[in-house]
Amino acid sequence: MTTVETVTPVPQRRRRLRMRHPWPFVGGLALLCIAGVLPLLFMAATAFRTQADWDESRIGLPTTFSFAAFARAWNDANIGTYFRNSAIVTSSTVALTVVCATLAGYGFSKLRWRLRGATYLFVLAWIAIPPLLLMVPIYVEMVQLGLLDTYGAVIFLYTALNLPFNVYLMTAFFRSVPDELIESARVDGAGIHRIFFRILVPLSKPALATLVIFNILWAWNEFLFALLMLQSDSVKTLTVGVLQLQGRFTTDYPALMAGLLITSLPVIVAYLVFQRHLVRGIVAGAVK
Amino acid sequence: MVPALVLVVMFVGYPFASIVYHAFTRWDGIAPAQWVGFHNFEVLWHDPLFRRSLRNNAIFALSVPIQVVLPLLVAYVIHRRVPGWRFFRSTIFLPAVYATVVIGIITATVLQLNGPLNQALGSVGLGWLKHEWLGSASTSLPVILVVLVWTNFGYNVLLYLAGMSAIDPTLEEAARIDGASWLRILFSVITPNLRRVLEIVLVVNTITAFAFMFAYIYTITNGGPGTDTYVSEFYIYQQAFTNQNMGYAAAIGVTLVLIVLVIGIFQIRILTRERE
Repeated sequence: MTTVETVTPVPQRRRRLRMRHPWPFVGGLALLCIAGVLPLLFMAATAFRTQADWDESRIGLPTTFSFAAFARAWNDANIGTYFRNSAIVTSSTVALTVVCATLAGYGFSKLRWRLRGATYLFVLAWIAIPPLLLMVPIYVEMVQLGLLDTYGAVIFLYTALNLPFNVYLMTAFFRSVPDELIESARVDGAGIHRIFFRILVPLSKPALATLVIFNILWAWNEFLFALLMLQSDSVKTLTVGVLQLQGRFTTDYPALMAGLLITSLPVIVAYLVFQRHLVRGIVAGAVK
Repeated sequence: MVPALVLVVMFVGYPFASIVYHAFTRWDGIAPAQWVGFHNFEVLWHDPLFRRSLRNNAIFALSVPIQVVLPLLVAYVIHRRVPGWRFFRSTIFLPAVYATVVIGIITATVLQLNGPLNQALGSVGLGWLKHEWLGSASTSLPVILVVLVWTNFGYNVLLYLAGMSAIDPTLEEAARIDGASWLRILFSVITPNLRRVLEIVLVVNTITAFAFMFAYIYTITNGGPGTDTYVSEFYIYQQAFTNQNMGYAAAIGVTLVLIVLVIGIFQIRILTRERE
């Protein structure tokens, strides 16, 4: 009895090495994290002030508490419309990216065709080109296509600019799916579409979550191309729209900060929900 | 497969071919472009504003050594599972979640002459430190540098963490049993195994300093005072959309792509050689 027990392998959780005197390091980390939360506190402290309170004092907690700045930003300064536009652009970009990147990842990993390697390299090569430097020809192309000042301009653009990296992620993920799984499905008579939808897509939920969070952060926060492409108020996204709070209301800082807070909260929530997957995506990009 | 290729060719490949072609032309974006050979590049070589923009980019590239070293230390502390490490790991990335525009506007607001920072300095008796922070390049460039480091810090920490988690923990334990201090373990055991991540950190942060500065500059100083805080992208934007010199702007773009590629390849070469 006793011998059996000693032989049975005890499932050992490998313990990481720990610091002997961790507290100074914890203090340092805490300071860094406070620096990270500070903008959020500043936005909130200013947005809940009244204009009079801001004129009085710009630091510390508000002595007044009002939602008036949010109402001014949302209604008078169009932030409501910009918010809707950002939501449309971001969700469409994410949807289009997921469709294109999974299809391409499947093609580059599990299907065999001529020139596969060359095409894959062609798609990946663009990771090295900073997209902002292409602003001139992209602008002219959008004018020629008649897409300027439409949601389409930024949706197609955001998808295309980030596709090389997204295709890379999905291809790497599909490659880790064992070929035997696909082989046995093929023996059972499944076609390439059936294999894709019935086997690969259900397996790739974690990879898809990574794609989703990366593209939410990218599309919601993008600025330069939105500034170039979206010129009328009816299509502007938040990052471009909030700038108008700065110009039009030269001194209405509570409304400006309310606008910035409205811009920031959705991505912060998305980050908190998906952060595990974001870290996984960074791991995939850095280690593989 | 096909939709991805079409999108990439249409909105990345074609613009890239177009920018290379138009760099050799005089072009306002509307009328047909006129071939002018290397003229744009000759002008660019002697253009003082382009030089200033590049110099400012180079100043922002000072963030690169900081981003290589400090996040490495922070990542290692988190890697060693100090109390609260999970919380720190997720909060440290927060600055990269805010839109650059949001960060820029907050920075500009806080640093106004009668803004919160000067008011805070005054109220703690440091009134003599009050300053028009964005009034001259000698203070605004360092300010933007700090903001840049702060924004991307957490991203680099996560990259390092990813690399560290892939290292065999028995290596660390062995070093510890031999009596190595944590710093010694970090530099003699961990860092040599992080070559791939070091490459990424170097290249990504360099590209950021040269080609992802637009939103900071646009919202914090708008290139000013005068043209003192121009960066290359801001200059491309000005030439293309204010002066309608699309051909010249294309030439700046091509030059910048080349600079970024050369620096990137150079950095990777150095790292590769150190290894051997």
